[in-house]
Amino acid sequence: MKQKILHLLLYALGMLLICALLAWGKPPKIIGLFVVSGFAVGSLYALGGIGLVVLYRATGVLNFANGAVGAFGVMLAWQLGQMGWPGPLTWAVGILAATLLSLGYGLVIAPKLAWRDPVVKAVATLGFAIVTLGLTAFIWDDDVRRFSLPTDKQAVMVLGLRITVTRMIVISAAIAIVLGIWLFLSHTRIGLQMRALANNRDLSALIGVPILKVETIAWTISGLIAGFTGLMFGDLIRLEPTVITFMVIPSIAAAICGRLNNLGLVLAGGLFIGVVESLLTLSPLLKQVRPIAPFVIAAIALIWMQRGQKLVFSRDA
Amino acid sequence: MKINNNKIYGYLLAIGTVMGANLAQADVSCGQNTGKAASGDAIKVGGIHGNAAPGDFSAATDAAAAYFNCVNANGGIHGRPIEYLVENDQWNPELAAQVASKLVEDEGVVAMVGNGSFVEMSVNAPQYARNNIMSMAGACAASECFESSNIVSTNQGPLASSIGAAMYAVEELGATNIACIGLAIPSVGNWSCGAVERYMTSKNLQGSSVLLNPTAPDVNSGLLEAVASGADSILINLPAGLAIAFLNSAQEQDFGDVYSWTSSTPLYDASVPGALDEYWTDKVFVNAELTTLDGQGPDNQNWLAVMDAFANPEDPRDTFSQSGYLSARFFVDTLQAMPADKIDDRNAVTAAIKDIKGYRSDLICGAYYVGEAKRHMPNHAGIMVVLKDDGFEKVRDCYEYESPYFAELIETEKSLKLR
Repeated sequence: MKQKILHLLLYALGMLLICALLAWGKPPKIIGLFVVSGFAVGSLYALGGIGLVVLYRATGVLNFANGAVGAFGVMLAWQLGQMGWPGPLTWAVGILAATLLSLGYGLVIAPKLAWRDPVVKAVATLGFAIVTLGLTAFIWDDDVRRFSLPTDKQAVMVLGLRITVTRMIVISAAIAIVLGIWLFLSHTRIGLQMRALANNRDLSALIGVPILKVETIAWTISGLIAGFTGLMFGDLIRLEPTVITFMVIPSIAAAICGRLNNLGLVLAGGLFIGVVESLLTLSPLLKQVRPIAPFVIAAIALIWMQRGQKLVFSRDA
Repeated sequence: MKINNNKIYGYLLAIGTVMGANLAQADVSCGQNTGKAASGDAIKVGGIHGNAAPGDFSAATDAAAAYFNCVNANGGIHGRPIEYLVENDQWNPELAAQVASKLVEDEGVVAMVGNGSFVEMSVNAPQYARNNIMSMAGACAASECFESSNIVSTNQGPLASSIGAAMYAVEELGATNIACIGLAIPSVGNWSCGAVERYMTSKNLQGSSVLLNPTAPDVNSGLLEAVASGADSILINLPAGLAIAFLNSAQEQDFGDVYSWTSSTPLYDASVPGALDEYWTDKVFVNAELTTLDGQGPDNQNWLAVMDAFANPEDPRDTFSQSGYLSARFFVDTLQAMPADKIDDRNAVTAAIKDIKGYRSDLICGAYYVGEAKRHMPNHAGIMVVLKDDGFEKVRDCYEYESPYFAELIETEKSLKLR
């Protein structure tokens, strides 16, 4: 336990050191703006990463389609809003649609791949992502659109930067989901069964874990998170299905920072990636490498945290 | 004799459709305006657009196709129809080269018309020169499109449009330090925002560039970078979707009144006012490369009528559509003026296009010309509009852009006696 805490402290120290190096010599006010801006974006990466890890922990499936189903959900919510439906109803329908898409895959396709290698399962979800994106792009052709929430108008000042209530909802939701899932997995019978299923599917089936029921719940939770994340991405990033679909990529980097296992580290990883990306903008030399920052950070985190202990894609190895 | 009611309804419907189509076509003007369909061997013309994520640049080829359909229904060119072959480069350089080879070498098209892409022109400019074929483009965005011997476009592209916006910011909004927000795509963002910087320097003012990765989700850092540059005016030179995301970020920070806001043409799109909060009303000034979309000039009205009669209802009616129509019209006018036996000869068609001098239209402010030159940008004067709740309002009529970049073009225009 002591060693684990020490590792976490070193991890946090490393993060702070990198941020300090990037911010060195810049006026504190500017640094404050970029750090807060980075937290705002990082919380979105973290939220996406948490959705991935929740499902991975319960089913062993790394779902690349989370972004695509979220994009479908927010596009549907936007469409219903254009048709005059009340806001809360459109958000609920959007999240429900994403949940149903996720659940549909989980109940129809995923069981057929249950005994395949985790990489095969992950690649299959990539196919589902492309199909869902194609369907979304077919229904809603390329046009200028905007999805907004009433909370966009309210804001507070943090270190000179206005933070809207929507962004605060994202950060709060990320923390609440981490806590909620932790409590769910560690204190409920279904949570216990999910952990058992993720650790060893064969053995779980033998001892009577109701696989279908547990996986249905896991895909539903994952779909709900993907739907909510889609709404947030549509509002805070932009309402473009392709952009939202591929937000899953930095989210995967955040998930890898938590070794696809530790939700707290996923949250920290996502926030750290956001802050580093933002601070890289301050350097005329390094700002060109911003797009690769999530993966460099994920690779460094993986090398540091794994150190030969565990394989990411083969939890049973 | 027993008459089938359904048949009668069918005949009535057919007669009504034909009459409706004739009525719809009654106020269009295309080619020879004979009202008779062209016949005989088709004249092959090519077109390439980019349509894939993250953007659709097919509006110019859609409009060119509509105009060619109209010409084919009105006597064609010397009685012969145009066969317009359109390909999609999907923003893929390899595919762009392949489809150009297919059109130019396999199909033997006599010219390219209405091309619109970020990619195609940069890749294919040498091929067009090698094959002595002219591309009368409609939706150019990269430097090679304006700096090649065999490409000429009716639109202005991001460089001229951004300079136009910067001029307005300086002259009308009192800007002294402009941050130009562009795309980090070679030959696009650095080229156009770099020209804004040079324009500002030429006026003893300050300018800087902030280049965004087109796929980057975070536009906030770009906004903060612009703020950190010390600018008092922000010029958005981005595709509409990204520009709206950028303006939303600025609205989140309540920067609407802190800076003056201008944009190059992509924000001049009918969908934009609905996609932006009313917060931006009267705050965002947008340069338009061609006349306003509801312009009352005869050629603009003809463009709208041609689109209504011959294009799909879902085809965009935007600036690229205007420029695609105009390229197609100028091309048809050029071929009409050629001897009938020369219109299949690519070299003769290329020579005729290069000979274009002083074509006029109410869609553009100045004269359209081509000439034998290494650079072509006949359209370098435009208008400014301001964003309103439900649309745009013109705030400055035709004005010519000033920049060291245009010096060579102005010399060419003088030599052609167009000035």
